[in-house]
Amino acid sequence: ALFTGSRLLKGYRGGHVVIRFALGGCANRPFFRIVAAHSKRARDGKYLEQLGCLDPLPNVHGEKVAGLNLERLRYWLGCGAQLSRPAEKLLGLAGFLPLHPMTVTGAERLRQRRQREQQVGTAPADG
Amino acid sequence: PGWFPRVVPARGRKSRHDPPAKSKAGRLKLPPPVDPEELLVVLERYRQHRLVLGALRAEFRAEVLQKKREERLGREDSAELLEEHRRLMAWNDEENARQRARRSERLRKEAEEEKRRKLEVMEKQAKKMEAFMKEKEKEVLQLQEEAKSFITPENLDARIEECLDNPRNYNFAIDKDGRVVKRTVLS
Repeated sequence: ALFTGSRLLKGYRGGHVVIRFALGGCANRPFFRIVAAHSKRARDGKYLEQLGCLDPLPNVHGEKVAGLNLERLRYWLGCGAQLSRPAEKLLGLAGFLPLHPMTVTGAERLRQRRQREQQVGTAPADG
Repeated sequence: PGWFPRVVPARGRKSRHDPPAKSKAGRLKLPPPVDPEELLVVLERYRQHRLVLGALRAEFRAEVLQKKREERLGREDSAELLEEHRRLMAWNDEENARQRARRSERLRKEAEEEKRRKLEVMEKQAKKMEAFMKEKEKEVLQLQEEAKSFITPENLDARIEECLDNPRNYNFAIDKDGRVVKRTVLS
């Protein structure tokens, strides 16, 4: 009992609060929990508060479902929590934060690549 | 397909002290190619994004502080807290008054005790002095009385004559009670 108690009451030197994804689920079935935790904790370890969840696999209707607790998100951001990159991207797509630059850049690159493929596809077809 | 199922995954099988494979001997690792104009665009987007993010964080922080302040100060205006505070203050005042009364009583009693004791002591002292003075007076008077029967150079001759005229016999015995035994023969 003493061992588990000392494991649970871990104190860190430095570190900061981070809002990130904690992976759960089973084999070939990931599931993310959006979680506010210390940066030095394990990814799936003890967290301060769960602020939402994300199902990365699309459902029957082709949607990727995510849930967010905006009230508590505002609180933690006001307390000075950092965000991980995927968390930032998700919040940007959700509309709570501005869109992440790499989302826009990725979309642009994808569009350009598709255009190039289309041109390459039409150019040999023309002969 | 180029891959085949492995019993143990290859990644993580080699530790950092194992030498790289011979197939990787001529490998030249280059960073990914970067388009300069895209890079500028991306940097500008990042700058603006960070600006907006900083502003949002500041706003959220202000919100949290406001909530904390409101929770800390807003409670004072509620009626029940004020009433409880007044009640407690009144009780405190009562307690203070009671303690003060007790204390003043105690102090008064102690002062009286002190005065009484002092008076007693002074009386005793006065009595002692009186007794002493009386003793001394008595002694002085006794001495004066005795001084009348002293032998002075003027009385000397008369007293000598008187002694020689009245021979006194001290040759007697005394029993335990102090009475003179009258059975001895006068010498």
